[in-house]
Amino acid sequence: MFAAPLDQVRTLYRTLLVFAAVSLLILVAGLVEFAYFEPPGQHTGLKATIAGVYQYDPDHKTTVGPDRTSFPRTVQFAAVVDWSTLPKNVVVDARWYDGFGNVVGSVGPATPDQLADQTIVPVKVPPGFSHNLPGHYVFVVERYEGGVPVEVIGRRVVLVER
Amino acid sequence: MGALTSARRANPRGRRPARYAIALAIAVALSLVLVASSILNYVYLDTVAGRTSLYGLLAVALIALGTFIGVRAVDRDPARRRRDFIRAAVLLGLAALLWLLLIDVFIFTNAAGPGVAAICALACLPTTAFGLWVVRRIDRNEKEPWRLVLVAAAWGAVVATSLVIWAESLWQEIAIRTLVPGPGFDVSTAFSAGILEELAKGSAVVLLFLVMRNEFDDVVDGIVYGAAVGLGFNFMESIAYMTNLYAIFAPDGVGGYAAGFQWYARQVLGLFFGHATYTAFVGAGVGIARQLPTTRKKLIAIAAGFLVAIAAHFAWDAWINLFPIEKNNFAILEIHLRTLIMTGPFTAAVVALLLLGLHIESQALADQFRKEAALGSGAITPDEVPILMSPWRRFQQRLRVLGRGGLRAYIRLARLQAAQVDLAMERWHRERQEVDSPLEVDQEMRRQVIALREQFVRVISGG
Repeated sequence: MFAAPLDQVRTLYRTLLVFAAVSLLILVAGLVEFAYFEPPGQHTGLKATIAGVYQYDPDHKTTVGPDRTSFPRTVQFAAVVDWSTLPKNVVVDARWYDGFGNVVGSVGPATPDQLADQTIVPVKVPPGFSHNLPGHYVFVVERYEGGVPVEVIGRRVVLVER
Repeated sequence: MGALTSARRANPRGRRPARYAIALAIAVALSLVLVASSILNYVYLDTVAGRTSLYGLLAVALIALGTFIGVRAVDRDPARRRRDFIRAAVLLGLAALLWLLLIDVFIFTNAAGPGVAAICALACLPTTAFGLWVVRRIDRNEKEPWRLVLVAAAWGAVVATSLVIWAESLWQEIAIRTLVPGPGFDVSTAFSAGILEELAKGSAVVLLFLVMRNEFDDVVDGIVYGAAVGLGFNFMESIAYMTNLYAIFAPDGVGGYAAGFQWYARQVLGLFFGHATYTAFVGAGVGIARQLPTTRKKLIAIAAGFLVAIAAHFAWDAWINLFPIEKNNFAILEIHLRTLIMTGPFTAAVVALLLLGLHIESQALADQFRKEAALGSGAITPDEVPILMSPWRRFQQRLRVLGRGGLRAYIRLARLQAAQVDLAMERWHRERQEVDSPLEVDQEMRRQVIALREQFVRVISGG
């Protein structure tokens, strides 16, 4: 039915299929990685109490003013966590992520008792910069299992304005 | 392509092929997705991107209308064709400007300012234009028409970016509210970018394949159109990143540096290694499907192209953190090595497909040149065969003619050579039973070639 060039096109087709097979492995590796860091069946129903996100006074290491959802970039801020509401046998941490996904403040991982005197979790200004970078900041309280964070049990998102 | 399109006109089709209906269905589905997701995004997310996407519908409509008129113009007579092309160009230009305006006004202008946005756009224009020029040049046997290459790039820049802004915003919003930040979140974002962006860009290549089959011959054409869509997408994404990062870092005095780094990373280092490579795989899949005998294999080839594109894109986004850039004297070297190691293998793979495709195409055309010359129709003479077989010798012949008869003679000869290549290409597809046009088309193409030869002889002899 077809002349000689068909075989050459078939070579192209088969080459593409080989590339596709390798690609499939890449995507499967991605799924495995996702499943490792987001293991299914980890939902415990546990809830950490985040009292709020407040302006932070670094000199006195205290929070100031009301709970807010946005801050000017020149204002430092911190989250306040009530660790006492969590069971004593879990391992948890709390982290701030900036708009680029960098960790810009954290406490833990440790048990709630060990974190009892670290209720204030401030955002640190990145080295070399005078103020926070603008964007959405995510604060999470994470539950650990086997040395890896497996569940977010508290979450707040705040905006650092430009 | 002039000969071919005239031949198409000389042999009107009784009924449009089913692929037009598929193309229409895809276009309608994409339009509905655009409208629905923009409204949902605006209502439920109320983000800046949501507002942009809603207001950007006008730009998307202009792009769609301009593309339709431009593509339809191919089948028109010369007078109407010219008018339609002008209309299409005006609509596409308006859409591009409107979209840039929206991007600037609603996303970045408040922070970076319209001046910075304009500078970023101007900085990306020459590099993107160079990329498109190179991509078009690689099809050394039969260059694709600029109008289609630019339509492909415009789709990538405006329509594809519009599609993904909404979808990725939704994905991101859900991920932030449900996933543990860190590597798992990064992988999720990489899946979002790989799947959504490649589907959005690839739909342009599929539509071109369905609507402009006459200009979509094989894997080489697919790679050209796919890369053009990728370059268009990369253009708009570069502007977005440059202005955004400028706005973020400007208060600390390093806004220009941040924007400049993005420009280098995306418009120089990543010009061919990023989106152009990814979407070229979609094009390669569609191009190979063009020449496969069964629907099943065609679908597998297209799916395989999408799969490779998604995996290549995913790998970069998901695992870029495996190659952190240290803040030392080797940073600049590390950045280049990272691109080479992570995207280089995919670019090499697409180049391998391209070279194999060019080899197959050249062999097939040479075979058809010889067969046509042996036919004695006068469209291709035996002494022209060795010249037509070599793009370099064709160019040398045109240069000689330029010296003898000036630019007019050069253009006439270029048209004659293009029509002869078109004829050989048509013969190749017919031999492989890949065309749905009647046999008379070949005869009309021969008449066109002979007419072009007569015009060329008149010019060269001073008649």
